[in-house]
Amino acid sequence: MNIEPGHELPDLIKHPTTRQLVQYAGAQGDFYEIHYDQEFARSVGLPGVILHGLLKAAFLGQLVTDWLGERGTLKSFEVSYRGIDVPGRPYRCRGRVTSVVGGRAELEVWGEDPEGNRTTVGTAVVELTA
Amino acid sequence: MSAAQPVIDRLRARIGTPGPPTTAVVEAGHLKAFAEAIGDSYPRWLTEAPPTFLVALAPVTAHLPEAEEYGKGWLNGGNRFEYLEPVKVGDAITAIGKLVDVYEKTGSSGNLLFIIFETEYFNRHGRTVARLRGTAIRR
Repeated sequence: MNIEPGHELPDLIKHPTTRQLVQYAGAQGDFYEIHYDQEFARSVGLPGVILHGLLKAAFLGQLVTDWLGERGTLKSFEVSYRGIDVPGRPYRCRGRVTSVVGGRAELEVWGEDPEGNRTTVGTAVVELTA
Repeated sequence: MSAAQPVIDRLRARIGTPGPPTTAVVEAGHLKAFAEAIGDSYPRWLTEAPPTFLVALAPVTAHLPEAEEYGKGWLNGGNRFEYLEPVKVGDAITAIGKLVDVYEKTGSSGNLLFIIFETEYFNRHGRTVARLRGTAIRR
Protein backbone atom coordinates (compact mmCIF):
# COMPACT_ATOMS: atom_id res chain seq x y z
CA MET A 1 0.00 0.00 0.00
CA ASN A 2 1.53 3.23 -1.14
CA ILE A 3 0.49 5.40 1.77
CA GLU A 4 3.48 7.22 3.15
CA PRO A 5 4.36 10.79 4.11
CA GLY A 6 4.63 13.07 1.10
CA HIS A 7 2.33 10.94 -1.04
CA GLU A 8 0.00 13.21 -3.03
CA LEU A 9 -3.66 12.39 -3.56
CA PRO A 10 -4.97 12.48 -7.12
CA ASP A 11 -6.52 15.92 -7.74
CA LEU A 12 -10.29 16.19 -7.80
CA ILE A 13 -11.52 19.02 -9.99
CA LYS A 14 -15.10 20.13 -9.47
CA HIS A 15 -17.11 22.42 -11.74
CA PRO A 16 -19.71 24.06 -9.48
CA THR A 17 -22.62 25.83 -11.19
CA THR A 18 -25.50 27.94 -9.91
CA ARG A 19 -27.67 24.89 -10.58
CA GLN A 20 -25.50 22.83 -8.24
CA LEU A 21 -25.79 25.50 -5.52
CA VAL A 22 -29.57 25.29 -5.69
CA GLN A 23 -29.43 21.50 -5.70
CA TYR A 24 -27.11 21.55 -2.69
CA ALA A 25 -29.26 24.13 -0.85
CA GLY A 26 -32.19 21.73 -1.19
CA ALA A 27 -30.25 18.61 -0.22
CA GLN A 28 -28.69 20.21 2.85
CA GLY A 29 -31.70 22.34 3.74
CA ASP A 30 -29.61 25.54 3.83
CA PHE A 31 -31.71 28.21 2.17
CA TYR A 32 -29.55 31.21 3.02
CA GLU A 33 -30.06 33.51 0.02
CA ILE A 34 -26.36 34.27 -0.59
CA HIS A 35 -26.19 30.90 -2.36
CA TYR A 36 -28.90 31.50 -5.01
CA ASP A 37 -30.11 35.11 -5.02
CA GLN A 38 -27.60 37.37 -6.84
CA GLU A 39 -29.23 40.60 -5.69
CA PHE A 40 -29.35 39.50 -2.06
CA ALA A 41 -25.74 38.33 -2.20
CA ARG A 42 -24.60 41.74 -3.50
CA SER A 43 -26.67 43.51 -0.84
CA VAL A 44 -24.52 41.90 1.86
CA GLY A 45 -21.28 42.88 0.17
CA LEU A 46 -20.53 39.74 -1.83
CA PRO A 47 -19.63 39.75 -5.55
CA GLY A 48 -22.66 37.55 -6.25
CA VAL A 49 -23.80 34.11 -5.12
CA ILE A 50 -21.06 32.03 -3.49
CA LEU A 51 -20.45 28.35 -2.82
CA HIS A 52 -21.61 26.95 0.52
CA GLY A 53 -18.58 26.33 2.73
CA LEU A 54 -20.04 22.91 3.45
CA LEU A 55 -20.21 22.14 -0.27
CA LYS A 56 -16.48 22.80 -0.50
CA ALA A 57 -16.07 20.57 2.58
CA ALA A 58 -18.04 17.87 0.74
CA PHE A 59 -15.67 18.21 -2.25
CA LEU A 60 -12.67 17.75 0.03
CA GLY A 61 -14.36 14.82 1.74
CA GLN A 62 -14.78 13.22 -1.67
CA LEU A 63 -11.12 13.88 -2.46
CA VAL A 64 -10.18 11.80 0.59
CA THR A 65 -12.76 9.02 0.27
CA ASP A 66 -12.15 8.59 -3.51
CA TRP A 67 -8.46 8.14 -2.76
CA LEU A 68 -8.96 5.94 0.31
CA GLY A 69 -11.60 3.67 -1.22
CA GLU A 70 -12.00 0.49 0.81
CA ARG A 71 -8.47 0.71 2.25
CA GLY A 72 -9.56 2.39 5.45
CA THR A 73 -11.98 4.66 7.28
CA LEU A 74 -12.19 8.40 7.68
CA LYS A 75 -11.93 9.23 11.41
CA SER A 76 -11.90 13.01 11.44
CA PHE A 77 -12.00 15.84 9.01
CA GLU A 78 -11.54 19.57 9.61
CA VAL A 79 -11.76 22.51 7.22
CA SER A 80 -11.39 26.30 7.45
CA TYR A 81 -12.95 28.53 4.84
CA ARG A 82 -10.41 31.23 4.03
CA GLY A 83 -11.98 32.78 0.97
CA ILE A 84 -15.14 32.82 -1.05
CA ASP A 85 -15.67 30.93 -4.30
CA VAL A 86 -18.20 31.61 -7.01
CA PRO A 87 -19.92 29.20 -9.40
CA GLY A 88 -18.71 28.94 -12.98
CA ARG A 89 -15.07 28.54 -11.97
CA PRO A 90 -13.34 25.18 -11.53
CA TYR A 91 -12.47 24.21 -7.98
CA ARG A 92 -9.38 22.08 -7.61
CA CYS A 93 -9.17 19.82 -4.54
CA ARG A 94 -5.74 18.61 -3.51
CA GLY A 95 -4.20 16.69 -0.66
CA ARG A 96 -1.07 15.09 0.64
CA VAL A 97 -0.18 12.55 3.34
CA THR A 98 1.67 14.30 6.16
CA SER A 99 2.26 11.39 8.55
CA VAL A 100 1.60 7.69 8.98
CA VAL A 101 1.77 6.32 12.51
CA GLY A 102 0.48 2.95 13.68
CA GLY A 103 -2.13 2.43 10.97
CA ARG A 104 -3.32 6.04 11.07
CA ALA A 105 -2.51 8.51 8.35
CA GLU A 106 -2.85 12.26 8.61
CA LEU A 107 -3.47 14.29 5.50
CA GLU A 108 -3.52 17.93 4.63
CA VAL A 109 -6.21 18.87 2.15
CA TRP A 110 -7.06 22.09 0.42
CA GLY A 111 -9.19 23.57 -2.33
CA GLU A 112 -7.81 26.05 -4.83
CA ASP A 113 -9.46 28.59 -7.08
CA PRO A 114 -8.15 28.96 -10.68
CA GLU A 115 -5.53 31.50 -9.47
CA GLY A 116 -4.15 28.93 -7.05
CA ASN A 117 -5.47 30.63 -3.90
CA ARG A 118 -6.16 28.09 -1.16
CA THR A 119 -9.66 29.20 -0.26
CA THR A 120 -10.35 26.13 1.88
CA VAL A 121 -7.70 24.39 3.97
CA GLY A 122 -7.99 21.43 6.24
CA THR A 123 -6.77 18.15 7.61
CA ALA A 124 -8.09 14.61 7.72
CA VAL A 125 -7.22 11.51 9.72
CA VAL A 126 -7.82 8.06 8.26
CA GLU A 127 -7.48 4.67 9.90
CA LEU A 128 -5.96 2.15 7.51
CA THR A 129 -7.33 -1.36 7.32
CA ALA A 130 -4.58 -3.82 8.26
CA MET B 1 -16.89 48.23 24.80
CA SER B 2 -18.55 47.37 21.51
CA ALA B 3 -22.06 48.68 20.82
CA ALA B 4 -22.91 45.04 20.18
CA GLN B 5 -22.03 44.03 23.75
CA PRO B 6 -25.66 43.42 24.85
CA VAL B 7 -26.16 41.01 21.93
CA ILE B 8 -22.90 39.25 22.74
CA ASP B 9 -23.86 38.99 26.41
CA ARG B 10 -27.23 37.46 25.55
CA LEU B 11 -25.57 34.90 23.30
CA ARG B 12 -22.88 34.13 25.84
CA ALA B 13 -25.56 33.40 28.43
CA ARG B 14 -26.56 30.42 26.27
CA ILE B 15 -23.10 28.85 26.13
CA GLY B 16 -23.11 25.25 27.27
CA THR B 17 -26.88 24.82 27.38
CA PRO B 18 -27.87 21.99 25.03
CA GLY B 19 -30.61 22.77 22.54
CA PRO B 20 -33.63 20.51 22.05
CA PRO B 21 -32.77 17.11 20.53
CA THR B 22 -33.91 16.51 16.97
CA THR B 23 -34.23 13.02 15.53
CA ALA B 24 -34.30 12.06 11.87
CA VAL B 25 -34.10 8.80 9.96
CA VAL B 26 -31.47 8.48 7.23
CA GLU B 27 -33.56 7.95 4.11
CA ALA B 28 -32.25 6.39 0.89
CA GLY B 29 -33.80 9.15 -1.22
CA HIS B 30 -32.15 11.85 0.86
CA LEU B 31 -28.75 10.14 0.65
CA LYS B 32 -29.13 9.90 -3.12
CA ALA B 33 -30.19 13.55 -3.47
CA PHE B 34 -27.28 14.65 -1.27
CA ALA B 35 -24.69 12.59 -3.16
CA GLU B 36 -26.02 13.95 -6.46
CA ALA B 37 -25.94 17.52 -5.14
CA ILE B 38 -22.29 17.27 -4.12
CA GLY B 39 -21.48 15.39 -7.35
CA ASP B 40 -20.08 12.29 -5.62
CA SER B 41 -21.11 9.07 -7.35
CA TYR B 42 -19.22 6.64 -5.09
CA PRO B 43 -21.66 3.67 -4.82
CA ARG B 44 -21.19 3.30 -1.05
CA TRP B 45 -23.13 6.56 -0.55
CA LEU B 46 -26.33 4.88 -1.69
CA THR B 47 -26.48 3.13 1.67
CA GLU B 48 -24.00 5.00 3.89
CA ALA B 49 -23.66 8.68 4.78
CA PRO B 50 -20.81 10.49 2.98
CA PRO B 51 -18.51 12.58 5.22
CA THR B 52 -20.57 15.76 5.44
CA PHE B 53 -24.09 14.30 5.18
CA LEU B 54 -25.00 14.74 8.85
CA VAL B 55 -25.29 18.51 8.36
CA ALA B 56 -28.28 17.77 6.11
CA LEU B 57 -29.97 15.53 8.65
CA ALA B 58 -30.45 18.04 11.45
CA PRO B 59 -29.97 21.78 11.75
CA VAL B 60 -26.28 22.51 12.28
CA THR B 61 -26.81 25.62 14.35
CA ALA B 62 -29.34 26.41 16.99
CA HIS B 63 -31.64 29.14 15.76
CA LEU B 64 -30.05 32.33 17.06
CA PRO B 65 -32.31 35.25 16.14
CA GLU B 66 -30.40 37.57 18.47
CA ALA B 67 -27.19 36.93 16.52
CA GLU B 68 -28.83 38.47 13.47
CA GLU B 69 -28.94 41.80 15.28
CA TYR B 70 -25.17 41.82 14.76
CA GLY B 71 -23.80 42.78 11.33
CA LYS B 72 -25.66 42.04 8.13
CA GLY B 73 -24.73 38.56 7.04
CA TRP B 74 -23.52 35.09 8.00
CA LEU B 75 -20.32 33.38 6.87
CA ASN B 76 -19.17 29.89 7.65
CA GLY B 77 -15.68 29.97 9.18
CA GLY B 78 -15.00 26.26 9.39
CA ASN B 79 -16.21 22.80 10.34
CA ARG B 80 -14.73 19.83 12.12
CA PHE B 81 -16.21 16.35 11.85
CA GLU B 82 -15.30 13.41 14.04
CA TYR B 83 -16.58 9.96 13.07
CA LEU B 84 -17.07 7.15 15.60
CA GLU B 85 -19.42 4.80 13.75
CA PRO B 86 -20.73 4.69 10.19
CA VAL B 87 -24.20 6.12 9.64
CA LYS B 88 -26.34 4.00 7.34
CA VAL B 89 -29.67 4.16 5.61
CA GLY B 90 -32.48 3.44 8.07
CA ASP B 91 -30.55 4.71 11.10
CA ALA B 92 -32.47 7.04 13.40
CA ILE B 93 -30.02 9.74 14.42
CA THR B 94 -30.56 12.21 17.23
CA ALA B 95 -28.65 15.49 17.18
CA ILE B 96 -28.06 17.71 20.18
CA GLY B 97 -26.32 21.02 19.65
CA LYS B 98 -24.95 23.68 21.95
CA LEU B 99 -23.07 26.94 21.79
CA VAL B 100 -19.53 26.57 23.06
CA ASP B 101 -18.12 30.06 22.56
CA VAL B 102 -19.03 33.53 21.34
CA TYR B 103 -16.50 36.32 20.84
CA GLU B 104 -15.86 39.41 18.78
CA LYS B 105 -12.76 40.07 16.69
CA THR B 106 -11.65 43.09 14.74
CA GLY B 107 -10.88 42.13 11.15
CA SER B 108 -9.53 44.12 8.22
CA SER B 109 -13.05 45.01 7.08
CA GLY B 110 -14.55 45.72 10.51
CA ASN B 111 -15.77 43.75 13.49
CA LEU B 112 -16.77 40.13 13.26
CA LEU B 113 -18.72 38.00 15.70
CA PHE B 114 -17.57 34.38 16.02
CA ILE B 115 -20.10 31.82 17.20
CA ILE B 116 -18.72 28.36 17.91
CA PHE B 117 -21.15 25.49 18.21
CA GLU B 118 -20.92 21.74 18.67
CA THR B 119 -23.40 19.08 17.69
CA GLU B 120 -23.29 15.50 18.91
CA TYR B 121 -25.08 12.80 16.92
CA PHE B 122 -26.38 9.62 18.60
CA ASN B 123 -27.83 6.42 17.20
CA ARG B 124 -30.91 4.68 18.57
CA HIS B 125 -28.75 2.79 21.09
CA GLY B 126 -27.55 6.09 22.55
CA ARG B 127 -24.03 5.68 21.21
CA THR B 128 -22.31 8.74 19.78
CA VAL B 129 -21.76 8.21 16.06
CA ALA B 130 -20.26 11.60 15.17
CA ARG B 131 -19.48 15.07 16.43
CA LEU B 132 -19.48 18.32 14.53
CA ARG B 133 -17.89 21.60 15.51
CA GLY B 134 -18.63 24.72 13.51
CA THR B 135 -17.64 28.35 13.44
CA ALA B 136 -20.37 30.70 12.27
CA ILE B 137 -19.38 34.31 11.65
CA ARG B 138 -21.58 37.41 11.63
CA ARG B 139 -20.17 40.29 9.63
